[in-house]
Amino acid sequence: MDKNIYEPIKCVVVDNIVESPTINTIVLKPEKNFSFLAGQFASLTVPGVGEAPFTPSSSPFDKEKLEFTVMKIGRVTEKIHQLKIGDIVGVRGPYGKPYPLEKFKDKEVLLVGGGVGLAPIRALFLALVETYKNYKKIVFCCGAKTPQDYIYKNQLFSDWQKLCEKIPLSFRITVDKKDEKWKYMEGVVTVTLDNLDMDIKNSIAVVCGPPIMMKFTTLKLLEIGFTPENIYLSMERKMYCGVGHCRHCLIGELFVCKDGPVFTYEELKDKPDIWA
Amino acid sequence: MERLYIEFKNWQSFLKGKLQENKIYAPVDNDGISFYEIIDEKNIEKIVYDKARPVEPFKIFLFPFKEKVVPEILNLEKIVVLGVSSCDLKGIEILDNVFKEGEYKDPNYKKRKENIMVISFDCIQPYSTCFCSLVDVNPYPEKNFDLNLSKIENGFIVEIGTEKGKNFIGKDTRFYQANENQLKNMKENREKAIKKVEEINNEFDFKKRENLKEFHYKEYWEKIKDIENCVSCGSCTFNCPTCVCFLLEDTSERDFFKKIKVWDSCQFPGYARMASGATPRPTLYERFANRYLCKYWYMVENFGILGCTGCGRCISGCIGKIDKRKVMTEILREKVKT
Repeated sequence: MDKNIYEPIKCVVVDNIVESPTINTIVLKPEKNFSFLAGQFASLTVPGVGEAPFTPSSSPFDKEKLEFTVMKIGRVTEKIHQLKIGDIVGVRGPYGKPYPLEKFKDKEVLLVGGGVGLAPIRALFLALVETYKNYKKIVFCCGAKTPQDYIYKNQLFSDWQKLCEKIPLSFRITVDKKDEKWKYMEGVVTVTLDNLDMDIKNSIAVVCGPPIMMKFTTLKLLEIGFTPENIYLSMERKMYCGVGHCRHCLIGELFVCKDGPVFTYEELKDKPDIWA
Repeated sequence: MERLYIEFKNWQSFLKGKLQENKIYAPVDNDGISFYEIIDEKNIEKIVYDKARPVEPFKIFLFPFKEKVVPEILNLEKIVVLGVSSCDLKGIEILDNVFKEGEYKDPNYKKRKENIMVISFDCIQPYSTCFCSLVDVNPYPEKNFDLNLSKIENGFIVEIGTEKGKNFIGKDTRFYQANENQLKNMKENREKAIKKVEEINNEFDFKKRENLKEFHYKEYWEKIKDIENCVSCGSCTFNCPTCVCFLLEDTSERDFFKKIKVWDSCQFPGYARMASGATPRPTLYERFANRYLCKYWYMVENFGILGCTGCGRCISGCIGKIDKRKVMTEILREKVKT
């Protein structure tokens, strides 16, 4: 008999890390091997509460554990924030198309993440670092509302920046509103795209964040010379099945769950209601 | 295709004989409207053979309103469904594409389908809301059935669609080869039904339906006056033989996972709303347009077939009295572009 597509794999919660006032990272140990590629997503079941789709934020190379970085915004995410070590959750997937790393080869890669949108970007970033020799350079732009709202603080402001000495990597970090201790840029995330030291013609950009951020970042990227085929967007829609059956996630005729969640702007630009 | 003939009273006794071993559903007359009922000795006389589609679409047997998907249903019963209309048989093609043909298979659908014996009927008297002729569907079944009954004088032409259908009849001698006159009678009835549907729909025009993709902007739909009457009840989608949208409800108990699949409707304001509160279709007009775009554009792109079979249930079930044929005709005549 075929495997039931809706049957989740049991996972034990091994940690629940507070990242910011509204965002936690839960660390799971799946009962069976769960492999995914950066950009793919999974459906996370909180037993008796509900199920919601998230892109894992941990490295696809990490076979021991699986992490999801989740903003508290609704019924299921509120329960995720309350999960305790030892609790059981379910995961099914991975679903959707990953970032096409083969197309990034010998290119300069620009990552732009805003707020909790840094979560899928983190999985991609960790995958890029593992295979850094394949890319000319990596420029990582990130934004958040305030310094407190940043997630992955220990990594972003310390470990990851140390990597810049070893591999062709640079960071451009901003907040909408800074405080007295802040030593990076101030302004919405598009300010990080001014005066980029990149060969735009040989670059690809990856964007993930709230709809409004993705919209203005895309417009800015087009303005500075990126072509629609070289801008990758990670789209978010209401989802239930994850496998192209329930039709909740349609953007035009495209299924975010099956044809995405990673799309080029070229694929989306003529579709109805893309910046929901 | 093998075509047999059986007299009406013989069919009645044949069917009665089948009641013992089979659970049989058929459209039964209920004050002039036919609803599916489980057939017994009493209501067998009230089965409607000479009208058109029943109130409920056939999809309710393949994709019920609510069903368990985790764990999947293990003991699905075998049933016989009579009175399936040509438009509903066409609808199965969409359901098959979604739940059976793709990379991911629905846990119950295929088993359900295998357990159903489909006995379709020709539409003898199309309803005023029927519009299969506008979407290239004939008012009589051509495929996707096990047996098809076409009512003629004093009896039925029985078309055998599958081995399963053939075995249902077995060697029963009350069925015999249809003669030329009987087949001619069937052909005439079919031509009459086509003419009737065409007459019903002569003021409507779907010819340029592929142009609908140019009209996805809200501004066009805002110009269609009738849409104001939509109250987002979802009747048009629940009654539709090809609407497949559903949601999953989680009823797991600790580490024993349980999930239930329940119909959903793109006409409901909360349908595509995300936890943040954002929704890609915040207005009535966008949601209303979505149903049309899905049927005549998205499904065509997804599966290569039209997502509308012309059954007209979305029209007869609409409490706002919105006629899809009128809306489509207005949109496609580009009245909205002025």
